[in-house]
Amino acid sequence: MFATSHILRGALGVSLACFVTAASAQMAYDPMRPTPNPLMPVNPLMPATSEESTTESASAEVLPNPEFGNLPDAEGVEETFYQCVACHSTAIILQQSLTDARWDYLWTWMIEEQGMFEPEDEIRDEILTYLKTHFSSER
Amino acid sequence: MTNPLPPEIDAEIAEEPARRSFLKTTALGALGAYVGMNIPFAENLKAFAQGMNEEDIMAGKPGLTLLNDRPLNAETPAHLLDDDVTPYEHFFVRNNGGVPDTALNMDAEGWTLTIDGEVENPLVLTLDDLKNNFEVITRRLVIECGGNGRAFFNPGASGNQWTTGAVGCADWTGVRLSDVLNAAGIKDTAVYTAHYSNDPHLSGDPERDAISRGVPIEKAMAEGGMIAWEMNGEPIPAVHGFPLRVINPGYPGSASQKFLTRIWVRDQVHDGAKMTGYSYRMPAYPVAPGTEVPQEDMVIMTDMPVKSLITFPQSGTQTPAGAASEVRGHAWSGSGDIASVDVSIDFGATWIAAELEPAVNKFAWQRFRADITLPEAGYYEVWARATDTNGVAQPPVVPGWNPRGYGNNMQHRIALIAT
Repeated sequence: MFATSHILRGALGVSLACFVTAASAQMAYDPMRPTPNPLMPVNPLMPATSEESTTESASAEVLPNPEFGNLPDAEGVEETFYQCVACHSTAIILQQSLTDARWDYLWTWMIEEQGMFEPEDEIRDEILTYLKTHFSSER
Repeated sequence: MTNPLPPEIDAEIAEEPARRSFLKTTALGALGAYVGMNIPFAENLKAFAQGMNEEDIMAGKPGLTLLNDRPLNAETPAHLLDDDVTPYEHFFVRNNGGVPDTALNMDAEGWTLTIDGEVENPLVLTLDDLKNNFEVITRRLVIECGGNGRAFFNPGASGNQWTTGAVGCADWTGVRLSDVLNAAGIKDTAVYTAHYSNDPHLSGDPERDAISRGVPIEKAMAEGGMIAWEMNGEPIPAVHGFPLRVINPGYPGSASQKFLTRIWVRDQVHDGAKMTGYSYRMPAYPVAPGTEVPQEDMVIMTDMPVKSLITFPQSGTQTPAGAASEVRGHAWSGSGDIASVDVSIDFGATWIAAELEPAVNKFAWQRFRADITLPEAGYYEVWARATDTNGVAQPPVVPGWNPRGYGNNMQHRIALIAT
């Protein structure tokens, strides 16, 4: 037990030294980093969380698709991309982790208040399912 | 006690080369890849629709974290907010629509401001009218986005995930809002202001306003309110509202409309774009995280909460153990002045009173400084806690969850490494 903690402390010492010599202060542990959603795909908006996110997304095999603004490459990505970028970039989507109810509300708000084009029901369902799957606080 | 260095430090270092190569190998067209990074690659950013040129704008703001490129939204890391007066290059950007061509071209030719509605004498004022007919004043005023701190709410709240950097304090030159409203003669029926501007809506629909908010007439007439044309001694830069901006300090930044063309004095609470629904509104009663609050139970945000930010040193800085070192930052409150700021180096177990400078004027942020001594080598956090003149202090954790993630004034924390 003592040996283990000694080794651990040694390793921490090495990592501290490494930090001191090789990295700028900007890369230090940030106590204010937002809590990442472990199920989120790689989120280029949140570099501070991308280490954990990369691990998770590798296991889930959902990678960002650069052709579609780095949205997670999964069913519905193309429909979602073209529906959304009519008004805004994918950057705002990549930042979200919302409840299903909030996504439903936002959809109605964008149509009624923001003049979003209303697609056929089938496309709407596909996009909302995509958003609720990949940008969710519930799963 | 010596807190071990968390494994994230190693992880972050290891991650860095991968991130760089990712940037290099990603097609320029995939702009999303740049978003969220610091902006050393700003020169690579491409221009967008409606004549908006992020390249020019963001190249002038190195070090800001880009959250969204359309519309443009970028926040400032805490250590870049150390100046008493936030310079242009470090002032955060929150736009709801596009930046109008008049602003991008810095063209104020023929610009007028209309004051109408519940007034005795409707006014149409040129910039020269404003400059010549009213007392010109300069005030140091904090502007903070209502959603600053949204990133820390769980479940997440929709919108840009601001951490701590959607705030700045600049010197604004212009006229008192109350002087202009008094010149128009406010009627007894006046209830609320309604602000209008010429920034295009994201949909491109010319009939829609990107944003049109306002304030209660009492707030508009109170100390602090301004109509400004200069920021830090220069014409207000394009992205901050050239050529005119109303400023209602203490309220969410959205009450300080950029590109101002009209103030309509209304006989009811304004119901313009982003005044209704969940926008800039909080639940009327405390709710559990994730609650779906009915729209009719949402009330308009008014004063921003008491807050502070540690701006020096930068989080992660090393400092010698056993020697005093300075920690400093700013504190402010939507209701006005700050009474005290305390700092802690032991996760809030004990607090040290910081030296606090008075505000140069109401709604300016106040400088605090404290000398701290870290007893032994290791990992420490410095926390800051401001208390306003009503005795209300910042909470150590994220305060009341709300559907849109407004008003997070949790204590700011930085890492300090004692060596």
